[in-house]
Amino acid sequence: MIEMTRHTAGRIYLIALLLSIVGFIAFLVIGGTGVPASGVPILLFGWMTMPLVLGVVFVAFWLVSYIVYFFFFWPYK
Amino acid sequence: MGFTLAILGGFGAVIILMAAYGYRISAKTAEDYMLGGRTIGVVVMFFFVLFAISSAWTFYGFPGLLYTKGPGYVMFIWGSVAGFAGLYMFLGPRLWALAKINRFLSPVEVLGERYQSKALRLILSASILAFIVPYIGIQPLGVGAGFEALTGLPAIYGAIYTAVILIILVLLGGMRIVAWVNIFLGVVYMSALLGSLVWVVSVLFPNGGLVQAARIIAETRPAMLSDPGPGGTYTPIVLGGTFVVGILAFSWPHVAIGCMTARDKSLFKWFPLLIFVFGGLFFYILPFLWGSLVAPAAMPLAELEALAASNGVPLQVEADRVVQTVIKRTLPEWFGVFVLLGVIAAAVSTAAVQLMTSSVIVSRDVIQGIFKPGASDRQITSWARWSVVIIVVLSLGVSALNTGAMALYLTDVSVPGFAQWAPALVDGLLWKRGTKQGAIAGTIAGVVYLVLSLLIVVDGNRILVVGHPVIPSLLLNTIVYIVVSKLSPKPSEEIESQFFHEVDAYLKAESSGR
Repeated sequence: MIEMTRHTAGRIYLIALLLSIVGFIAFLVIGGTGVPASGVPILLFGWMTMPLVLGVVFVAFWLVSYIVYFFFFWPYK
Repeated sequence: MGFTLAILGGFGAVIILMAAYGYRISAKTAEDYMLGGRTIGVVVMFFFVLFAISSAWTFYGFPGLLYTKGPGYVMFIWGSVAGFAGLYMFLGPRLWALAKINRFLSPVEVLGERYQSKALRLILSASILAFIVPYIGIQPLGVGAGFEALTGLPAIYGAIYTAVILIILVLLGGMRIVAWVNIFLGVVYMSALLGSLVWVVSVLFPNGGLVQAARIIAETRPAMLSDPGPGGTYTPIVLGGTFVVGILAFSWPHVAIGCMTARDKSLFKWFPLLIFVFGGLFFYILPFLWGSLVAPAAMPLAELEALAASNGVPLQVEADRVVQTVIKRTLPEWFGVFVLLGVIAAAVSTAAVQLMTSSVIVSRDVIQGIFKPGASDRQITSWARWSVVIIVVLSLGVSALNTGAMALYLTDVSVPGFAQWAPALVDGLLWKRGTKQGAIAGTIAGVVYLVLSLLIVVDGNRILVVGHPVIPSLLLNTIVYIVVSKLSPKPSEEIESQFFHEVDAYLKAESSGR
């Protein structure tokens, strides 16, 4: 991790991951995985509940960020 | 019954044969027994770690809590995926390089040398063992619950069967064979989890599969489809706290030790890919679907409550085995046996790594590190092996006394306990200014607060717990660590050179050499 703080790409990577964690928690706090005003739970594709959707989006974001940084910018690659 | 017992006997025999083969080919050195000779590659490491963290809890406790409380508990999984990947991305390369350069055999040894403190080594060893030992015992007991649900025989038989396999595997095989056996166990486990899900869905929900299951729940228990879930457990604060607790998975000692077994540095580049794609986007979604959609649609809550009453157990304990119960009712008996094999595989794969980690700590850090510094390679390997038997017996005894729900034991007791060495670990590897005084004071403060917060109950409430047991204890631990480190003399230049400059140079040299 120390090596990541020593160059711009690494700092951007760390900030992006940190912001994704903050965003994740913020989404929970505003009730993003709760029942909407309509009173009917949101189901993506008819079965994916919002707690699942949120997690899949979160992991996908980490996956893409990781691929970009570790395969193109990581000093020890 | 005879068929079930024959299959279980054959399965156990395969594992024991693999362990015996591992014993025959092993180098008989402490490094080989404790860290697999530092030769674990990325694919074996992936199975090794994924199935070290995917225990009977994944099959029973996790779906069980989703079934009763709703989908919010999945936040622990999303946090854990980030935590495990973070360990290998942020701390892993340094921990690996340090251990390899200095021939360290245990993560506690790394910190003992980093802080130049035998007292800290003893404190960290005691703290980790205190929280990991009961968790080891949960695995055989978890199998026992499934064994009872499937065969009707007392759970203790299943627990003893699992404990015997565990002891022989770890006693003979050591870390390398535990890692290799995890591939076999992982394949059985994954086939059982995925196969049972697909088969049950196709049998019970032929008109739409998961969509049909979701429709049934929308009509019967609509609160199951969103937060805060039935009963309103998962408020935004609890959801956020559960997610943060998941992130702390990076501090699980039996996962951290995996970094030290890596063959080379390239593992840390590739490993997170498998964690994200296979772990986060596939594997952990399976038990989530089981607990949040399939089991609630297949078995109404009232029916499970009646079953719990007839079995004389609390609802949550019955919910812990709801997956096995649905499978038993829906699929042929032979497949139920296969699923039980999957659960045993899950339990053994986790407990074996935990046992290895515990035995390394007992032998290398407590006995050799404190009491017998001049012990030979052969002696510490022997102590590590025999401590396995003691740890298993002890863990079974402790866990048998704990009758709480499996999922909550992991997140409310084990994870907060494991997290108490996190400040010493993270800051020891990344912060040159961290001192032994800070590490000792922080760890003691955190552990004492955690234990008190779990023990002191007033009017049914744990008054020292704020949000979650880990939050106040870890916060206190970290603050005390930083403040005391700042107030105490900074570590010597030799330590800074050994634990920072040499590691940087080694990792850079490894890179330029490619």
